[in-house]
Amino acid sequence: MFLAIKELKHSKTKFALIIAVVSLISYLVYCLTSLANGLASSYTNAVEKWHADQVVLTVDANDNLMMSFMGQEDFDAVDANGSKARIGLFPAVINDPLADNVLDSRLDVYFLGIDDDSFIKPSELEDLTLTGNQVIVDEELRNEGYEVGDVFGVTGSTMQYEIIGFSSNTTYQTAPVVFMSLDTWQEYRYGSFNTPNLFSGVVVKGETSDLPSNLLSYTTKDFIATLPGYTAQVLTFSVMIVFLIIITAFVLGIFIYVLTIQKTSMFGVMKAQGISNGYISLSVIVQTFLLVSFGVVIGLVLTTLTGIFLSDVIPFAVNLMFYSLITAAFFLFALFGGLFSVSAVLKIDPLKAIGG
Amino acid sequence: MKLLIEMTGVTKDFLQGDNVIRALKETNFTAYEGELIGIVGPSGSGKSTFLTILGGLQKPTTGRVLLNGKPFSELDINEKSKIRLENIGFILQASNLIPFLTIKEQMILYNKITKTKVNQTWMNELFLKLDVEKIKNKYPNELSGGERQRSAIAKALYHQPSVIFADEPTASLDTNRAFEVVKLLARETKEQKKATIMVTHDERMLEFCDKVYVIVDGVLSERTST
Repeated sequence: MFLAIKELKHSKTKFALIIAVVSLISYLVYCLTSLANGLASSYTNAVEKWHADQVVLTVDANDNLMMSFMGQEDFDAVDANGSKARIGLFPAVINDPLADNVLDSRLDVYFLGIDDDSFIKPSELEDLTLTGNQVIVDEELRNEGYEVGDVFGVTGSTMQYEIIGFSSNTTYQTAPVVFMSLDTWQEYRYGSFNTPNLFSGVVVKGETSDLPSNLLSYTTKDFIATLPGYTAQVLTFSVMIVFLIIITAFVLGIFIYVLTIQKTSMFGVMKAQGISNGYISLSVIVQTFLLVSFGVVIGLVLTTLTGIFLSDVIPFAVNLMFYSLITAAFFLFALFGGLFSVSAVLKIDPLKAIGG
Repeated sequence: MKLLIEMTGVTKDFLQGDNVIRALKETNFTAYEGELIGIVGPSGSGKSTFLTILGGLQKPTTGRVLLNGKPFSELDINEKSKIRLENIGFILQASNLIPFLTIKEQMILYNKITKTKVNQTWMNELFLKLDVEKIKNKYPNELSGGERQRSAIAKALYHQPSVIFADEPTASLDTNRAFEVVKLLARETKEQKKATIMVTHDERMLEFCDKVYVIVDGVLSERTST
């Protein structure tokens, strides 16, 4: 400890540069993870907020909720040991009828029709009632300038909807979700003339049993995996992040190794004086840990700051579990780098230092 | 007088290609407390081999080394390290100072490693005696050659070893400084009752030695007329 810390203090510039490199790389990894995680969350936020166990679609829908059509008899046929809720989902393009340029105000959203007493309704807005054209929208619309009481229209229709509340973390495939009563949704989906009582699927808490052959149930996890592009995107980002971590580890390991090799003659002198391999190795390891700790902490601070400034503009999700895993990986690989250097220390022949 | 170092029947062979080279012929050597012993000889004569075997950095091919009456050369690497740390002081040509520690911290390092208390009284005394007091908070690269060598001696003496091995301690010094350093070594050897073995090229330094040995082609012999 003594040697490790004294050396850090003495060669401030050298170690500051190494810490800077470690913190920048860790910043990159943390940031990329947060962005990937943010993007993945914006795909699935709304689904995760259901806190449901299963989603039931028709077999014909081929995994696609929006291509699933169910009637009341299907809902009744879903035999669940928990609560169940009907949902209707369909994309829509909304606009602001009061905007200077209505075309410019177009925005992709998903209309989600639910029963007013359904558990799918955002719990923080339980007091609000979804009736007629009164809807709850994701808070992303607030960033677009909408406020409670504002009205928006739908492209290709004369329908208008009034915002009665904003919900948080309710995006589906990166688009904001608009919660409305199932009746209103059916009117939008099928038109107001002779509207059929059809919806898209059933969300279930608990287990389903004995489903009719025209229905298929998915666990929430499987359902999310079938969202178009989701699996591919998560896989791509995961591979990138894993590679980054491995490369970082190598860079760090090489740095420590080079530092150690530079000190070969000094270590030789120390060994000649009877300072044990153990003591020298320990100070190499301690130094590695100190460098990584400083670097990682700075990286985390930078990531947090970035998150504060960026999260309104792009999806940026902090996931403490991912952060801990990445941090643990950094330490683990740095330890390998350190141990590699220790093996070099062990090989140093004190005789060489004496010039024999 | 107490016998501190006893070397009996020591030889050292090196393999060079397929040939075995005997770098050190059969050597017997003793050093008592209070003795400053000079070793001279041309380059490649076996001086360093002799010193490194004494210091336990190499194993002799035959024979043994006793330190304070205890076998030293047969011990394993870790035990030798421990004995070097506690009983031997090294003063090396290349300087035994660690670049990122101040002179004072070089001493404290010993206490950190052995988990002992800093001997402040002894350190102050040593610093005054060796004229290191003024520079004790400086780093080695801020010092002149003489200051560095005096600091190295302070370091070699600080942990109160029973023997001191000095490899060309005056190599980087001008004549006055060199004399000063050797006189200092001679004085400390007497006062602290140590045995000091000094390898040197510089014949002028030998007048301060109690005994002088010459090594030529791996044969160690005492020089009687100095």
